[in-house]
Amino acid sequence: MDAELLELQRQFESAQQAKSSVRLSERNVVELVHKLRQRGFLDFDLLHTVSGKEYITPDQLRLEMEAEIKKSGRASLIDLSDMIGVDLFHIETQAQRIVSGDSGLMLINGEIISQVYWDSVAEEINEKLQECSQISLADLAAELHIGSELVVSVLEPRLGTIVKGRLEGGQLYTPAYVSRIGAMVRGAARGITVPTNLSTVWSSLQQLLQEMDSASGVSVEGTFFQSLFNGLVKEGEILGSLRAGVQWTPAVFAHAQRESVDSFFSQNSFISYDVLHKLAIPQPKQYLQSRYAEGIPLEGIFVHPSMVEMLDAAIEDAIEHGNWIDCLSVLPAYIGSSDASKILSLCPSIQKAIKSSKAVILGETCVFSNVCIKDMFDRMEKEMDALIYKNPYAQGPSSELSTASESKFSSPGQHSDQKEVGDDASSRQVVEKGSKKKRGRNAGSMKPGVSEDDPDIQENFAGKTKKNLRKSKGTGSSDVPDTKASVKKGLDKGKDDSLNIPSEEWIMERILAISPDLEDMGGLDDPHALIRHLSVHLKPMLTSAWKKRRSAMLDESTEKRRRLLDDLQKQLDEVVLDLQLYEKALDHFDDDPSTSIILHKHLLRTMASPITDKILVTLDMDKKLKDGVEVEDHPNVETTTLSFGDRISLAKSLPGSLSAKAQALVEASEGKRVESFMTALRAITEESGLLLKKLDKKLERAMLHSYRKDLISQVSSETDPVALLPKVVALLFMQVYNKALQAPGRAISAVLSHLKDKIPGSTFKVLMDYHSATVTLLALQAAATEDEEDCTADRILSKKELLESMMPELKGLVLNTTSS
Amino acid sequence: MEGWDPSTKSALTQIPLLTTRAGPRDGGPWTQRLKEEYRALIAYTSMNKSNDNDWFRISAANPEGTRWEGTCWYVHNLRRYEFQLQFDIPVTYPATAPEIELPQLDGKTHKMYRGGKICLTVHFKPLWAKNCPRFGIAHALCLGLAPWLAAEVPILVDSGMVKHKDDEATSAES
Repeated sequence: MDAELLELQRQFESAQQAKSSVRLSERNVVELVHKLRQRGFLDFDLLHTVSGKEYITPDQLRLEMEAEIKKSGRASLIDLSDMIGVDLFHIETQAQRIVSGDSGLMLINGEIISQVYWDSVAEEINEKLQECSQISLADLAAELHIGSELVVSVLEPRLGTIVKGRLEGGQLYTPAYVSRIGAMVRGAARGITVPTNLSTVWSSLQQLLQEMDSASGVSVEGTFFQSLFNGLVKEGEILGSLRAGVQWTPAVFAHAQRESVDSFFSQNSFISYDVLHKLAIPQPKQYLQSRYAEGIPLEGIFVHPSMVEMLDAAIEDAIEHGNWIDCLSVLPAYIGSSDASKILSLCPSIQKAIKSSKAVILGETCVFSNVCIKDMFDRMEKEMDALIYKNPYAQGPSSELSTASESKFSSPGQHSDQKEVGDDASSRQVVEKGSKKKRGRNAGSMKPGVSEDDPDIQENFAGKTKKNLRKSKGTGSSDVPDTKASVKKGLDKGKDDSLNIPSEEWIMERILAISPDLEDMGGLDDPHALIRHLSVHLKPMLTSAWKKRRSAMLDESTEKRRRLLDDLQKQLDEVVLDLQLYEKALDHFDDDPSTSIILHKHLLRTMASPITDKILVTLDMDKKLKDGVEVEDHPNVETTTLSFGDRISLAKSLPGSLSAKAQALVEASEGKRVESFMTALRAITEESGLLLKKLDKKLERAMLHSYRKDLISQVSSETDPVALLPKVVALLFMQVYNKALQAPGRAISAVLSHLKDKIPGSTFKVLMDYHSATVTLLALQAAATEDEEDCTADRILSKKELLESMMPELKGLVLNTTSS
Repeated sequence: MEGWDPSTKSALTQIPLLTTRAGPRDGGPWTQRLKEEYRALIAYTSMNKSNDNDWFRISAANPEGTRWEGTCWYVHNLRRYEFQLQFDIPVTYPATAPEIELPQLDGKTHKMYRGGKICLTVHFKPLWAKNCPRFGIAHALCLGLAPWLAAEVPILVDSGMVKHKDDEATSAES
């Protein structure tokens, strides 16, 4: 047997015995694995690869992943999934396990990163930082493809160890750089002297930096500056206070602020809030109150008590000397009127004075001593009285007067202004009474002219600077029509309620006239405000004085009226009786119309006109008295003879129905019938409350008797041949008819013819002769008036002689019959 | 070489060819020939094993190596059907191919001669004759028995002529 063959046999046997490698199809394997898992032979999860051709156990996966991570220190889960060929989900879950198992690893944003990796990155960063001195975190993050927060969290523990630098506001800086910026910030902060918004400073610093190293394009954030700044403040390298994080108030500024407030307040003893505002102190009142506890806070200003004391002293002075004072002139110009009045209320002297009614405050700031006001009041009262007496229409001329005064005192003002430089010395003397403050304001504008005019008013603070003067000139002219108008209005009103209260405007004018320095004290908006206040204050006093005065006057005038009316009544009685007496005589001439008219007219002219005049004048006076108008004297009624026009105008001036009646009376007196006059007379007397006496028999007889006696005595004593005839005729008429006759010359012949039947023929003849002679004489006289020729004069003379020769016969004729 | 499936063909080409033309009666050259036969079989078996296609076990039943016996199996529907295998080396070998017998299947199928010799395809003989003396026992198994098993066993199993031994056991018990 061949050994080789045996060997081959054995080989073949072993080849047949050898286990055949199991070749399974994928499907079989899948089924097999499935079966295994079903049976529970596999006590772990089997994972598929992405291709689906492979199973992988978690442990294997983990091993592979760890290997990958160890390679670079940083592996993205997506990359791992690609590399290992396992679904991302399994990678993720496995990654969680790996990271939780290894503290040196972290899973961030789908990446597993080891601390080693960070260390190396930090070293890289450090190298870079030392080169550039500043790196932005954003750049780093972009470079590493991670979030900047992550960069910060990674870098922070390594700052100072691996990375030698400082992290500030998203930037990494080297210490050298930081110290440089710090120096800049310190310089800027120390340079600031006024309160500043820090962000503006930072922006300017930023600009500066960018200009300095524009190449590197480094941008430093404001927060970096801020943190450096805060550090400096904490260390005390820069002094000041920080408000709201950004508003920096340097200590030097606060110091200066305090200094200036201190100095101003201590020098002026007041400080306006505006000043504080200018110094950038936001709440001046509280600030000042906290600093100066003793000060007095007012609306616009803060005042030291010394200011009040000063004002107090000035006011006390003014009150003692009986003057007035405007606080505003004493106080600094800053102080407004409301503040001034507040200060006033704090003054003890003014309180005392008001309590004891020694002074009043007018127009908020002006203090008037009662002495001063009394003085003013006295003057005005006097003036008012004068005005009342002078003018029957009390108010009318006052406007003229006031305008006159206005123009008067504006022109001297101007005048004095021109010469005031020369008079400076004298004005200074005047002011010496005032305090220094007063003079400070008013020294230059004193009005010597006025002060001389009004020596009683000692404080002549005209307050008239040139500007004021010019203004007063302007307003003066415009005021005049104003006051006129208002005065007129006041007048109308006064008429309406028949009370002449002095108007406010009038008082203002008077005050100005008495003390012109008061003008322009009221302030710019209303230059007369003070005066108005004063006038309002004075008005009640003046009004009461006026009323007293007026009631006295009214009493007087009623007395006068009564007397006047009594007078009128008396006269009226007489005259009317006479008139009635004479009227009766006229009845005899009714049959002779022409004579009758002549007689009527005569009677009206001689008797009625005077009565009319008397009535009219008396009524007019009565009316005036009733109106409270002072009537100077009793006008001599007998002497006044009025023309027809005068009568009519007087009649018209009478009030109401009286006027109409009076006009009717005047008409009647110019008429032809005595009867009509009598009716008119009766009407007016009734209207005016007078009585007309009726003529009765007894009275008639007595009157006739007295008339006859009168006539006889007249005739017997008469020397004028012309005047004798009417009287003789009248006497004769009376003897015949027992009637009193008033006959004019022209009616004599008619009367004679009327008497013809009743008297003896001789007597009639004598009368006729005398009459014709008289007529020729009168005719001659009338002709002779033009030129005095001898012949006419001679003839007149001869006629006169003839008449005179006849006179005794005539007289005898009458007297005899009378006596017989 | 057409008529065989590709896997059979690739397997055939990988079996080393024989060179010695000697029959069992030739003495020394037969031994030579037998060695070559063994080498070819070893190659084929190892090839089958590596391909997970191991399907037979044979061994020379006599020292001369003229009679071979063994088993062969086929997996059908996840069941392994195993059969007895035997054949003699004919005297005219290698001109004449050995006649492979499956005695268990005798009388169970038409594609079989008496005594259980399998009927080979029409392609086998010309191919064998053409490749004499390069084809040996391994080639005969590869070209003859393997295709026949693949073709006949499923039919036999489906027709119920052949039953799995587990089924036989259960049916026997019942």
